[in-house]
Amino acid sequence: MPRVRKGAARTQARNRILRLARGYYGSGHTSKYKADYAVIRAGVYAFRDRRRIKRDMRRLWITRITAACRMRGARYSQFISGLKMSGITLNRKMLSQIAIEDPKVFDQLCQMAVKASRATVAKAA
Amino acid sequence: MTMRRDTYLATPQTVPAKTWRLVDATDVSLGRLAVDVANVLMGKHRPEYTPHVDCGDYVVVINGNKVGLTGRKAEQSMKQRYTSHPGGLKEESYGSLRERKPEKLIEDAVRRMMPKNRLSRHMLTKLKVYPGSEHPHASQQPVKMEV
Repeated sequence: MPRVRKGAARTQARNRILRLARGYYGSGHTSKYKADYAVIRAGVYAFRDRRRIKRDMRRLWITRITAACRMRGARYSQFISGLKMSGITLNRKMLSQIAIEDPKVFDQLCQMAVKASRATVAKAA
Repeated sequence: MTMRRDTYLATPQTVPAKTWRLVDATDVSLGRLAVDVANVLMGKHRPEYTPHVDCGDYVVVINGNKVGLTGRKAEQSMKQRYTSHPGGLKEESYGSLRERKPEKLIEDAVRRMMPKNRLSRHMLTKLKVYPGSEHPHASQQPVKMEV
């Protein structure tokens, strides 16, 4: 068998990796061996964080709703349980957007929720 | 009215205007004071809160030397630092620190309740603590805040 050198194929393989590693820190975007590893890790983080973003966003919405409730003298838990009792099925994302973009509607929601939660507490006592 | 479908995220250009808050620390326990101050510095008191942008307000704390320490914490709790020489552990009780340098005591408490990152160090520059009832920020017209 004649000896075959890789030639252009080697360059192509390296460039394929380096294209994916554009803008990486240090030698991550120049050295094929560093870039190889960095691209694999990046994929792992991306896969993990596509799942994590759903949790992180929910946490952010809850933090925002908490702030909006506190401004109106209510607690988050009271607000959410009150909404449930009054049969309002807005989710946390919508609630947090309402709190930012339409505070007057949130005022009403908050009043309703607090009223419903107080009524139930009074009934139980 | 139409609303955006995607979650609102503030940018440094669109953050709500920063206001100034005034807090009287007299007889408020240190930790309870620090929670409320830290929340305002981070912007967690408003629904536009965005974790990667500084959307908090300025906080002026007055009467720092009258901040409350419950139980025996004034004598027993110690601020420690190490000089890195053998036997070089320096200790000072919270009570004596409160008299000597209340800014340090309160700033430390607030700092430890903030996230540990660069943004938090930037947000902490909005905290101004003064031992007495005087403060030089009258022209910023700070609004009184209950804690």
